Amino acid sequence: MSSIEINSLTKSFGDFNAVDDITLKIESGEIFGFLGPNGAGKSTTMMILTTLLKPTSGNALVQGYDVQSQGKKVRENIGFVQQDISVDEYLTGRENLILQARISRIPKSEVSSRIDEVLELVELKERQNQASITYSGGMRKRLDIASGLLHRPKVLFLDEPTVGLDIQTRRKIWEYIRKIHKEFGMTIFLSTHYMEEADKLCDRIGIIDHGKIQAIDKPSTMKNALGDDRISFTLVDGIDNRDSLIKKIEEIDFVKEIKLKEDEITVFSSQSTDVIPKIFQISNDMEMKINTISLTQPTLDDVFISYTGHNLRDDTGKKFSRRKEFNLNRRRGF
Amino acid sequence: MIFSDTYAIFWREMKRYRKSKSGVIIRLIQPAVWILVMGNIFAGTQPLIESVGFDGEYIEFMAPGVIILTAIFTSIFGGVNTLWDRRYGFMNKALTSPISRSSIALGKMLAISMIAAFQASLILGIALAIGVSMPHLWMIGPIMAIVILFSIGFSGISVMLAAAAKSQETFWGVINFLGMPLFLLSPALFPLALMPDWLASIAAFNPVTYTVVLVREMMSGFVEGWSAILSVSVLVVFSLAMLGLASYVFTRDVNKPF
Repeated sequence: MSSIEINSLTKSFGDFNAVDDITLKIESGEIFGFLGPNGAGKSTTMMILTTLLKPTSGNALVQGYDVQSQGKKVRENIGFVQQDISVDEYLTGRENLILQARISRIPKSEVSSRIDEVLELVELKERQNQASITYSGGMRKRLDIASGLLHRPKVLFLDEPTVGLDIQTRRKIWEYIRKIHKEFGMTIFLSTHYMEEADKLCDRIGIIDHGKIQAIDKPSTMKNALGDDRISFTLVDGIDNRDSLIKKIEEIDFVKEIKLKEDEITVFSSQSTDVIPKIFQISNDMEMKINTISLTQPTLDDVFISYTGHNLRDDTGKKFSRRKEFNLNRRRGF
Repeated sequence: MIFSDTYAIFWREMKRYRKSKSGVIIRLIQPAVWILVMGNIFAGTQPLIESVGFDGEYIEFMAPGVIILTAIFTSIFGGVNTLWDRRYGFMNKALTSPISRSSIALGKMLAISMIAAFQASLILGIALAIGVSMPHLWMIGPIMAIVILFSIGFSGISVMLAAAAKSQETFWGVINFLGMPLFLLSPALFPLALMPDWLASIAAFNPVTYTVVLVREMMSGFVEGWSAILSVSVLVVFSLAMLGLASYVFTRDVNKPF
C-alpha cells in the first residue's frame, strides 16, 4: 500500500489553479520532497493532505484514508510541522509538548516517557522547563519538530522545515530529520525551495512549478539525466550567428543539450574536456569571440532549470528583485 | 473524548492566562475606573434610584452592573487569541490533530468564562472593600456561577467572530460595536423604569438586563423567585444558543485563510 496517493488533485482559488491536476504516489518509509519556488503549490498540496483545505477536484489518500471523507482517520495518522513556527511562547518547552500530547490523544501513562524521548532526540532536554519565548529560532523549530513526532505518526509532513534558519542550524535540522527517519521509519513528505535540502534528504524529488509536477525522480538520476558537466559561456558581441553556432555545437560528440538564457549559452555534455576545445574551435572558425566560459558539475539547480525553463528563485513579473534575492541567498551560502 | 479534548484546550488557555500577569491587571483597569469614578460621579442620583424601590447607595446599585461589565468585556475580547492562533499556527496544529473541532471552540469558551469570573470576583472584592454591603457573603459562589453562565454566551460571540473574521479590523469593529451598547442598554447603571419606553423595550431583549437584575438581587439579598427563574432561563437559552452557534461557525469557518 502506498503511504500517500494523490489522484488528479486540483485546487483553484477563483480562476487561478494553485494545484493543477497532480497525480503522485509515495511509498511507506520514503522521504519525498516537493521542490519548487514560492507559490508553486507546495503548501496548498500539503494543506489538502493534512485536511486543512478541501480540494476543488480529484482526491488524495493518506495511509489509505480519503482526506475529504475520512479526515479524522487521516489526522490520527499524520504529524504536521508547519512552515511558521507554532510554538506557544507562553508555555515552556515541556508544556508545549504536554499540550501536543493532549491534543494528539496520547494515553496518559505514556505522555511523560514519550516527551523525554523526543526532547532527547532534538536535544532540548536542558531547556525544557524554560518559557519557549526565550528559545532561539532553531530551538523553536526543533520543538515544533518534536511536537510533530510525539504521537509517532505514520506520515510526517514538514513544510519548508528550515526556512529562515542560518546554515549551521539548517544542517542540524537535517541531521534531526535523518535521525528521526532512521528511528521511526515513517514516511516523510517535505517541501522546500532549497536545492541542497532536497538533494541531501530526499529519496525522491518532485519538481513542482505553477501547480504542476514537472518531474519526479531520485536526485541522482535527475542529475545524471542532464549529463555530467555543464559548460556555460557568453559571446563578446555577435548574437547574429548564434543560432548557427549552436547548431554546430550540437553536432559535437557527447553534447546532449543546449540551453539559452539571456546572453548565456549552456552546453550539457559528458567528456567536457574534449568538448570545450571544440567549442573554441568552432567559434573561432565563425569569427565569434567567447567572452567568458565556465565549467560546472550539474546540481539540482540545473535540474530545476532544465524542467521549468527558469531559475528556482525567478518569478515572472518580479524577475529583477527575485534574481537579486537569489544571488543574495547564494552568497549567504544557501 | 470530547471532555478530554475540551480540557486540553482549556488547560492551554488557562496556562496562558496564569502566565500573563499584566493581562490580569489590564483587564481590571476599566471596571475599576467605572466603579471608583462613575460610582462617585453619579452618587447624587441616589434619590432617583430610591424612587424605583432600591434601598441603598448608588454605588451599591452600580456594583453588580460593573461586575457584569467586567464579564462582558473579558469574555467578548477573550476570543482575540483565536485570531492569533489562526495567524501563528497553533490553530492549524490543533486542526490537524485528531481532536474534534468543536471541542477547540468549547475549550476556549470555558477558559474565557473562568477568566471572566475570576476577573469579576476581583471587582466584587474591590466593591466590598470600598464599602458596598452584601448581607449574604455565601452568595458570591452562586453569583460567580451566573457570571460563568453569562460569559459562556459572550465568549461564544467572541470566539465565533474571531473564527470567521476575514481580518482583525472586522473583529475589533464588531466587538466594539457590540460591547458598549449591550452594557448601556441594560439596567447596569440606571434603572429600566426611568428609561424612555422605547429604550426599555429594547433592553428587554438584552441578556445583560436579566443578568444584571439577577446579580443585583443576589447581592442585595432579596431574590424574587419568579424573576430569578426568568433570568436564569433567559441566560441558559442565550448561552446554549451561543454555544451551539459558536461551535457550528467555528467548525465551518476557522480554517479559512486570513
